[in-house]
Amino acid sequence: MPYSDRFKDHLAHPRNAGELADADAVAEETNPVCGDRLRLSLQVRNGRIEAARFLAYGCPPTLACGSVLAEMLGGMTIEEAMKLTRKGIADAVGGLSTRKQHAAALAIETLHVAIERSWKPRD
Amino acid sequence: MRKVYLDNSATTPADPRVVDSMMPFLKEKFGNASSVHLFGQEARAGVDRARRQVAALIGARANEIIFTSGGTEANSLAIRGVCMAAESRGRHIITSAIEHPSVRGAIESLEKTGWEVTRLPAYQNGVVRAEDVRAALRSETVLISVMMANNEIGTIQPIAEIGRLVREERERGRRLWFHTDAVQAAGRLPIDVESLRCDLLSLSAHKFYAPKGAGALYLRRGTRLAPQQVGGHQERERRAGTESVPNIVAFGAAAELARTEMDERNQHTQCLRDRFEDKVTALVDDIVFNGDRERRLPHLSNISFRFIEGEGLLIHLDLQGVAVSTGSACSSGTLEPSPVIRALGRDEELARGAIRFSFGKDNTNEEIDYVLEVLPRAVESLRKISPLAQPIAVG
Repeated sequence: MPYSDRFKDHLAHPRNAGELADADAVAEETNPVCGDRLRLSLQVRNGRIEAARFLAYGCPPTLACGSVLAEMLGGMTIEEAMKLTRKGIADAVGGLSTRKQHAAALAIETLHVAIERSWKPRD
Repeated sequence: MRKVYLDNSATTPADPRVVDSMMPFLKEKFGNASSVHLFGQEARAGVDRARRQVAALIGARANEIIFTSGGTEANSLAIRGVCMAAESRGRHIITSAIEHPSVRGAIESLEKTGWEVTRLPAYQNGVVRAEDVRAALRSETVLISVMMANNEIGTIQPIAEIGRLVREERERGRRLWFHTDAVQAAGRLPIDVESLRCDLLSLSAHKFYAPKGAGALYLRRGTRLAPQQVGGHQERERRAGTESVPNIVAFGAAAELARTEMDERNQHTQCLRDRFEDKVTALVDDIVFNGDRERRLPHLSNISFRFIEGEGLLIHLDLQGVAVSTGSACSSGTLEPSPVIRALGRDEELARGAIRFSFGKDNTNEEIDYVLEVLPRAVESLRKISPLAQPIAVG
């Protein structure tokens, strides 16, 4: 399936790319099959994600899903973030073919690792 | 938006002179080349002329040309046709690790039925060694299939040396045949089947400015071939099916133009390619050229960009109107890195970051300037978001 305009826009103009120096949660996950990689850093205050940044290497869907994820997370509570699904990410980039679903899966996995294994609530 | 086509190894635009040549065969000369009446005779005359033109491109006799639907069919017919005709003599094939998927696929289909296959390395420079062919020969070898020039990196293989070796072996009484896939080489390298001493050679029309839908297999006189498509007398019983007369006529016209304009085209594309490579080297860090830089087709450049993945760069360039390819056009979109780049011993990151730029006779210096403007920006933008380009700062 051809890439959507929304998808291409995320690729051409990635949102929230980079890293947060004073992050409260970080994760870098790799898809063992294809080698795609996603790094996510989050700044969390009072259970709410104040800032999210991503870095991504791999096929275009991985880059676009990283961008969409970082954009969606800004302002969400941790509870809301944990409810994000692969489908939600895939829909947000305008849909993904079956072959490219792994990109949305990597985005969700990285998010979960960041929150469940790296984030320590300050309050 | 400006559009620049740098994917001439995938396909080329039809030359207007070629299109003109085929038009009468879509209109008034529309007959079936097998029909006896005047309409049929006109179509037959078009096919016969094209057969002579295609034969002239490779130094063959007209009756040694079998028209097919394209390069894939020619490769399949050559490999499966020779092997099936010769299987009582042995079931071993020698090929290279960097063949086009159509050759790989045909050979794998035989492998599944019990054929043994030796795949020769292409080393770091992407060139197979003729002495490896000799070392791989077995008493049961019936076919050697090595491409003339690689489709992803353009490296030129030692076909004449392998042909000489096969001829020597045959003079010693061995029964084996030599096929070369010349789809990328035709129109870009002079080809003479007599000096190459190959028995079969595949061609595709749309790689040199004819429309898609026609190809050919050169079959040296006396070479036995089991037809793969049956149910008609066309192509001397070697390939059944009504000939695509307009496409075949266009193929003939394109072959003639390729022969007469080859030097001029090569000079032009090489000039563009070399200038492009010099500038890219100056403008972009951390790049690696893939394949021998001397022994290669004049129109092609394959570059790996570190820290980024080729398809992302392809789409970035596409968004700015520049068409290139990641590895083989046929394997674009798959998750595996290019097997050709991997065969050069490159690591996975370099294999995934490989882009093929293939120049054509209609490209201009101004177009290359535009690509040189957008390419470094696209690379930089992808590297900015690549975790491979930045050390882990946190975590």
